[in-house]
Amino acid sequence: MIDMTNVVDLVLEFLMQFDAKTLILAGSAIGAGLAMICGIGPGIGQGFAAGKGAEATGRNPKVMKDVISTMLLGAAVAETSGILALVVALILLFANPFVAMSASMWILSASAIACGLAMIAGIGPGIGQGFAAGKAAEGVGLRPELKGIVNRTMFLGQAVAQTTGIYALIIALILMYANPFVG
Amino acid sequence: MEGPKIYGYIYGFPITQTLVNMWIIFAIVFVLCYVLTKNMEKIPRKTQVIAEVMIDSMDNLVGQTMGKDKMGFAPYMLALIMFLAVANTSGLYGLRSPTADLNVTVGLALMTFFMTQGFGLKSKGIGGYLKSFLQPMPFLLPINIIGELANPVSLSFRLFGNMLGGLIIMSLLYSGLAGLIYLPLVIPIPFHFYFDIFAGLLQSFIFVMLSMVFVSMAMD
Repeated sequence: MIDMTNVVDLVLEFLMQFDAKTLILAGSAIGAGLAMICGIGPGIGQGFAAGKGAEATGRNPKVMKDVISTMLLGAAVAETSGILALVVALILLFANPFVAMSASMWILSASAIACGLAMIAGIGPGIGQGFAAGKAAEGVGLRPELKGIVNRTMFLGQAVAQTTGIYALIIALILMYANPFVG
Repeated sequence: MEGPKIYGYIYGFPITQTLVNMWIIFAIVFVLCYVLTKNMEKIPRKTQVIAEVMIDSMDNLVGQTMGKDKMGFAPYMLALIMFLAVANTSGLYGLRSPTADLNVTVGLALMTFFMTQGFGLKSKGIGGYLKSFLQPMPFLLPINIIGELANPVSLSFRLFGNMLGGLIIMSLLYSGLAGLIYLPLVIPIPFHFYFDIFAGLLQSFIFVMLSMVFVSMAMD
């Protein structure tokens, strides 16, 4: 049986032999990877939208043009949370603000990891918006003459579904540019 | 990635890049309105047709979304969407988008917020307005208040987050392409198309649509 406090001590001791910058960069690398887990959401959502679009087209090939445009517009909005995650990951990789900060390296590297963790929230909006896009494509397939209002309703709902993903981005940006734990 | 630059101070009031870019955008919208509505005639010419289509489609949108009795909001909403459409696509002509500054989006969202509360109060009367916070059950009062206050927050951060995300991606892309010769001319085109034109116009539409929905929901 290994003594748990001993293990923690060993890990901390192992980490302490590196200098501050190494640990911050390591945290940023983990954060960048974690952020991209968010891609699960848009993937599922857009896949659902594509499936619904294919179904609607299969049922009535004449509406293909309308269905495809609604599906692509909806899927492009569902992409948003993936793009926001990409923004955070790219900042961590190429314009890392933590390197220039002067604070405890633990706080900085933990903040870098937290930026990535926060962006995982994007899974939800991605799936939800994709679901909305799929249902809209289905609706347009049934009644192509209502495409205008269906698209409008879809955009409105998708914008509201995006809210929590935007909150996650705000927290990630606060951690990077206005970190309350620093200074 | 840095915030908007500060060019100077007038009586201690900072003149930021956002402010200057907004002046430019106001000028663009003013010139656009002037050119489109100059020399109006019974039989419209090309510029007048554009103006008429814009006003017509806004009237339609307001009529469908808010109801025929609230057509008075159409001019405000058209002004808002024109400003937002030019501001959100300003990355195309090399300006830092003003809507990528939280001060602007919070200001716009507060306008919607006070319109929501003010017109709600006006159309329902004080009793009805206060009673609307007790719907559907009285114990939901705190949730209703929080929900009402969350609207301007989510409205402003949605526009800000989307615009800032696009701005960051574009500036990282340009800094990554710096030093190459022909590629910086070609590669950013699809990115500009998505982040400036598609996302920018979509977000301005969404902001205006949500404003309309909030105001009309508070009034009914």
